[in-house]
Amino acid sequence: MPLPACISRRSTGSIRTAFALFLSLSLSAAFAQAPDAALYGQGEKLFKGNCASCHKVDVKMTGPALKGAKAKWEGKGDIYAWVQNSQAYLKTGNEMAVKIWDQYKPTVMTPVALSKEEIDAVFYYVENWAPPVAKTEVKGHVGPVDEGSNSWLWLVILALLFLVVGLSLGGVKRSLASAVSEAEGKGPLPETTRMQRFRAWAWEHKVFMSFVGLFITVWVILALWDAAWVVGVYGGDEVPHYKPEQPILFNHTLHAGKADQGNLNINCQYCHSSAEKSKHAGIPSLNVCMNCHKAVSAGRTPEGTAEIAKIYAHIGWDPDKGQYTGKEEPVRWVKVHNLPDHAFFNHSTHVAVGKLECQECHGPIDQQMDVAEQWSPLTMGWCINCHNVKEVKMDGNGYYDEVMARLEGDTVLGHRELKQYLEDGKITVKELGGWECAKCHY
Amino acid sequence: MSSTKRYWMDAADLRQDPEAIKAREAEFAQPLAIDQVLGDAQFNGASTGRRDFLKFLGFSVGAATLAACETPVIKSIPYVTKPEEITPGVANWYASTYYDGQDFASILVKTREGRPIHIKGNPRFGINRNPALTKGVVNARINSSVLSLYDGERLKGPRKNEFSDNASTSASVSWDDADKAIMDGLSAASTAGKRIVLLTGTVISPSTKSVIDGLKTRYAAVEHVQCDTISYSGLTNANLKSFGKRVFPSYDFANADVVVSVGADFLSSWGSTTEYTWQYASRRNPDGAMNKHFQVESRMSITGANADHRIPVKVSEQPLAVIALHDAIAKKSGGATIGGGLENEELAHAADALWGARGHSLVVCGSNDEGVQTVVNSINSMLGNYGSTIDLDNHTYFFQGDDAAMAQLVKDMNAGAVGALLMAGVNPAYSMPNAADFKNGLGKVGLTVSMSRYADETASLCQWMCPDNHFLESWGDFMPKVGQYALAQPVIGKLFKTRAWQGSLLKWSGSDVKWNDFIKQTWQANLAAHGDAMASFDNVWNQSLHDGVLVSHATPAMPVAFAGDLGAAGAAAKKAAAGAGEWELSLYTTEAVGDGQHANNPWLQEMPDPLTKITWDNYVCMSLADVRRLGLPDYLGEQSPAGLVTVKAGEAEVTLPVVPSPGQKPGTIAIALGYGRGANGEKVGKAAVVSDENGERKPVGQNAYALTSLMNGTVGYDAVNVSVSATGGTYPIAITQTHLTHMDRHSIVKETSLAVYKAGDKDAYNEAHALPVHEDVNADGVIDSRDKKPVAEFDLWEEHPVEGVGHRWGLSIDLNSCIGCGACITACNSENNIPVVGKDEVRRSREMHWLRLDRYYSSDTHWAEGRAAGESKISLYTKMEEPSERPTVSFMPVMCQHCNHAPCETVCPVAATTHSNEGLNQMAYNRCIGTRYCANNCPYKVRRFNWFNYVSEKFGEVNPAWDDLGRMVLNPDVVVRARGVIEKCSMCVQQIHAGKNAAKKAGTPVKDGSIETACSAACGTGAIVFGDLNDKKSMVRSLSEADRSYHMLDEIGVKPNVNYLVKVRNAEEAAHHHA
Repeated sequence: MPLPACISRRSTGSIRTAFALFLSLSLSAAFAQAPDAALYGQGEKLFKGNCASCHKVDVKMTGPALKGAKAKWEGKGDIYAWVQNSQAYLKTGNEMAVKIWDQYKPTVMTPVALSKEEIDAVFYYVENWAPPVAKTEVKGHVGPVDEGSNSWLWLVILALLFLVVGLSLGGVKRSLASAVSEAEGKGPLPETTRMQRFRAWAWEHKVFMSFVGLFITVWVILALWDAAWVVGVYGGDEVPHYKPEQPILFNHTLHAGKADQGNLNINCQYCHSSAEKSKHAGIPSLNVCMNCHKAVSAGRTPEGTAEIAKIYAHIGWDPDKGQYTGKEEPVRWVKVHNLPDHAFFNHSTHVAVGKLECQECHGPIDQQMDVAEQWSPLTMGWCINCHNVKEVKMDGNGYYDEVMARLEGDTVLGHRELKQYLEDGKITVKELGGWECAKCHY
Repeated sequence: MSSTKRYWMDAADLRQDPEAIKAREAEFAQPLAIDQVLGDAQFNGASTGRRDFLKFLGFSVGAATLAACETPVIKSIPYVTKPEEITPGVANWYASTYYDGQDFASILVKTREGRPIHIKGNPRFGINRNPALTKGVVNARINSSVLSLYDGERLKGPRKNEFSDNASTSASVSWDDADKAIMDGLSAASTAGKRIVLLTGTVISPSTKSVIDGLKTRYAAVEHVQCDTISYSGLTNANLKSFGKRVFPSYDFANADVVVSVGADFLSSWGSTTEYTWQYASRRNPDGAMNKHFQVESRMSITGANADHRIPVKVSEQPLAVIALHDAIAKKSGGATIGGGLENEELAHAADALWGARGHSLVVCGSNDEGVQTVVNSINSMLGNYGSTIDLDNHTYFFQGDDAAMAQLVKDMNAGAVGALLMAGVNPAYSMPNAADFKNGLGKVGLTVSMSRYADETASLCQWMCPDNHFLESWGDFMPKVGQYALAQPVIGKLFKTRAWQGSLLKWSGSDVKWNDFIKQTWQANLAAHGDAMASFDNVWNQSLHDGVLVSHATPAMPVAFAGDLGAAGAAAKKAAAGAGEWELSLYTTEAVGDGQHANNPWLQEMPDPLTKITWDNYVCMSLADVRRLGLPDYLGEQSPAGLVTVKAGEAEVTLPVVPSPGQKPGTIAIALGYGRGANGEKVGKAAVVSDENGERKPVGQNAYALTSLMNGTVGYDAVNVSVSATGGTYPIAITQTHLTHMDRHSIVKETSLAVYKAGDKDAYNEAHALPVHEDVNADGVIDSRDKKPVAEFDLWEEHPVEGVGHRWGLSIDLNSCIGCGACITACNSENNIPVVGKDEVRRSREMHWLRLDRYYSSDTHWAEGRAAGESKISLYTKMEEPSERPTVSFMPVMCQHCNHAPCETVCPVAATTHSNEGLNQMAYNRCIGTRYCANNCPYKVRRFNWFNYVSEKFGEVNPAWDDLGRMVLNPDVVVRARGVIEKCSMCVQQIHAGKNAAKKAGTPVKDGSIETACSAACGTGAIVFGDLNDKKSMVRSLSEADRSYHMLDEIGVKPNVNYLVKVRNAEEAAHHHA
């Protein structure tokens, strides 16, 4: 990755944090002079319980935005009657009511059993509501502190130091030798380059040098061999995780993260519903997004709102009118987890039968991944390592009851096999064929 | 990783830039002609030395390696709004119906993400369903038809053709313009009082009939003429005269104890084959009531190959054979005789058998001569078969074509009396005996409209081409028989701007109703008229759509009295036999391309003919004696081309290679119809015209329809006097199995007679191979060669832990039920993405089929007889190589045998082929380095090597996986193999995984029958059974333990997981084979 890009990515997080801090501070100043907290709280509760499914404070949804509504109605009609039973009030022929009805029909607002006071509380809440801002304790995208690199640095400095010392000592030694030689009357030593001297020295210590050479060769081969095991084109433990830029910056942590950390705690399979049915976990189609985002048009940050707007643009939803325009454009996601074409992986086996948690392969996607990244190396070594240790979830599965019955029923071969399986006290995936080529390659 | 790289890499992908795609694949675009390069004189003086070359090489390898380190960016594009029924990665199956005028079948279509990729028979409903096995019969033509959907040469929208004296132009037009012009043309023809003719194949769709009625209402002059590519007019006319009904009856082979067929290839090409196939097979179980089948024919047909007694006669003798049968039975029943029949002892024997099974017998005849068919009707009537094995009350609606009406039409066209001609489902310019007259007449018709899917021989001569949908894109309804209905539903959106031809007719009759709505309305009206329970039409409709079939009502079959004029019929039959010359010709359709509409399907062209094993050609079948008499090559192979002969029938002649065909009656020849499509450069489909060995684009085979003729008012497919002359030229032939006999080897094909089998001594027909041991096994006190142990008791290796443990997948193949149709081969092609390699590669024995169908002729010479006759060993072998004039034929599907002691596994240097603990011999393509040791060591020769990258332009002409459209047929669950690796049958391991997964998810053991391989699912006769050999209750287990069960090449002790069941013929002669 080019350096500027690197810097920009690293720094965006902190800049954003700072910006958010600033914003929230200034806003909380605004909050400070505000309201009757009890009334505000009551209004919020009532709003969320009765109104929020169709109304928003600041933007139109199924019904009109509520902010400023009370002022609009001032002197033009009875807003309380209108809220309590709009259809009945409509029959009075009130101009304002007719105007709104024309705009939003045929959607009928269901009568609401709220008292005048309660309605006032709602409007109090609405008028004093302010758009939410990013949490101050945004987990900055600073990345893990790289302690390893520090120690490496010291090692390098030390090595350089030793090299300089060694070279100077060598120089001194040679000058001294030359001086001694001159003193003994043999004349100064012939002027030679370092390389010539090294060669002469190496020739003198042939045996030692051969051993060193052999050692280095073997070490390099071993290192290459080891390296080859973890080569993953898309990243792995040894290389940065593959995290391509996506057309929509979908935040996994926000959607799937724990509720107590302020996240939405949506089950992974709500969106990736085919994970337990199909070999593909599947990228959800946009209509799944719209199950929630038809109502949620604003993100927690302006950036979030912009991303949600992208969904609308792709599926062709006009949030103002609250209807589909019919202009659809599929989202071209960048595939993050890429297996080679000759490897077949089946999500449903792992999810529905093996009962693995998504995180076991996909990492802490619900905790520290805004945009999805590849967590595991997805190499064959990684696959079969897991197959080697994972115990088959046999309990209560009639399929495995039959497998066990056959193993136990065959007193010669079956028992021999079973004994081998159970050497480590468990039946692993490998033992039931999880290491066989045609398990994944066909 | 680079974040800038991805944009340009993706740009080509996004744009689907053809140049870029081509460049990406260009590895072989310009093949490296090493001979030319090295032979070039300039090259010797070139300054690039060997060392420089190596440096360049090193650099480019290094550069390529570095370049490969880039992370390719792959896009993943989900649905915007996912259809509810689609789960990406999970297949959906839809019931539909296949009908093309020749074949009818209720089918299931497998779709993945909205793309149809595989077709199999409907296991639960339809006339082609085998109720005993809950499997539907489809033949190779039907299950391959999914590929024709993705043929890039289909017409992509309506076109207008204009013809001047010596040139023609074709331009794309809009449907609106075409509709307007055609409606104007129809009105004009109507006003002028000329004939308006709608020419179609047989229409069995009730809704289509209503549409045609609507057209007749709009334009009073409209007439509907039906014409079958392969005519059955003779038979239907005979039924009209004999019983007052011009219909093709329902035959019930399942109820026939004795079947005599005179030239009717009812298992492959005659009548409603998908129905007869399961009926016939249901009576071929030697443990049940086995039927007895006599076949009287001149050429070796698939049906003849299955017969218990095959009586070879000349073409001209066939009508006389019918008369002989008639008279023999008439003598027994006291009926009138005709006289002058063929004198043949075996025919008398057949007549005896028929008479013995009267009321439960069946005589069918392939002749299209009205007289001959009338005599056949009289035979069946005397035998009391009407109401039992022949049902005229619940007759079929197939083959309503009328040759006389067609002949009249051609006459009227030439006389200028036809104002407009609309055509759908026919190709008369290709398939008519007098195609030249038809073409001539076409120019004199005011308005000509073709609704063909291709700009084929006929369409390209019409003024308007209004392409029909592919049947997988179209709605349709069918009435194959009285009281039987079927529905077809689209399983994919239309790929091109085409329109169902019925939709076009609706439009032209001024109706705005959509074709699918029209079908629904017709059904609603018809069901109401029948007084069927109509509580909820929607329920009935949805259920019918789900099942694909609706059985409404059946009338009990009644015996009918024969009322034909026997004397006239006998005279006509004799007339058909008269005038025999030196050579007699019969024309037939092959299992692969049928009547010619499938000639553009590469899967079918590459499917070896079940008998001759020849691909990509038609040819002259001739007896070996005649081939030698003409001095033509009698051995065909890669380096041994066939000799060419010119066959002349009347005015017409074709020049074709000669193939020695055991079983062909000397003095007769046979030629397949359906080849030679697109001979004048018409675009009839991708694979119909391919490059030959010199790179010239030529049609596959020659059109033999020219050799047919109108005889006694019907199209004759037999000619009793033709001339054959060798041209002296040769022609390369792509043949996949060249050996002629099975060398009396007992452990490949085993065959016995019913009597021997019934006697119950297993060793008499299925002796286990035994080896002599140094041990007194028989306890006679001496150790000698009689002390033997069965080969199963020997083992070089430690036992593989698959017996009894976990699953052990296996196949059982019943040689008795296998009729040799080859549907398994094409089903395997479709399921496993088998590449098509083309004629030139097949000729080099490089076909890629994972499953082959070996055909063995057995000779009359045997060890025992030979020794008795004092033959020397060498001369005995030579004699055994000699195919008999009357060979018996066995078919044997051979796929990887999944040996538990697999010889291939031990020789692989990189462990690319290994054994699974479920008994599968696994092949990891990406491990394979292509040494081919495994193929060398495989005793069954089932391993295939990818000599080339078949998904490349070089093979683009034939291999569907090359173009973007054809690629849509690939099964996404199976990898497409690259060059340089071995591949072979995996026993559809992807299906096994899917089945196991389903069982694990459901938490139940794998149910027997819930997993099917492509071949076993395609085998409607039940010859191929797949299952778990370790499941004691499974069908495959019980079959593997049956007395008839054996392993191929048992003596080599490789312990295959595929077993075969001995073939049993219901014939006396076969007894001596192992006597």
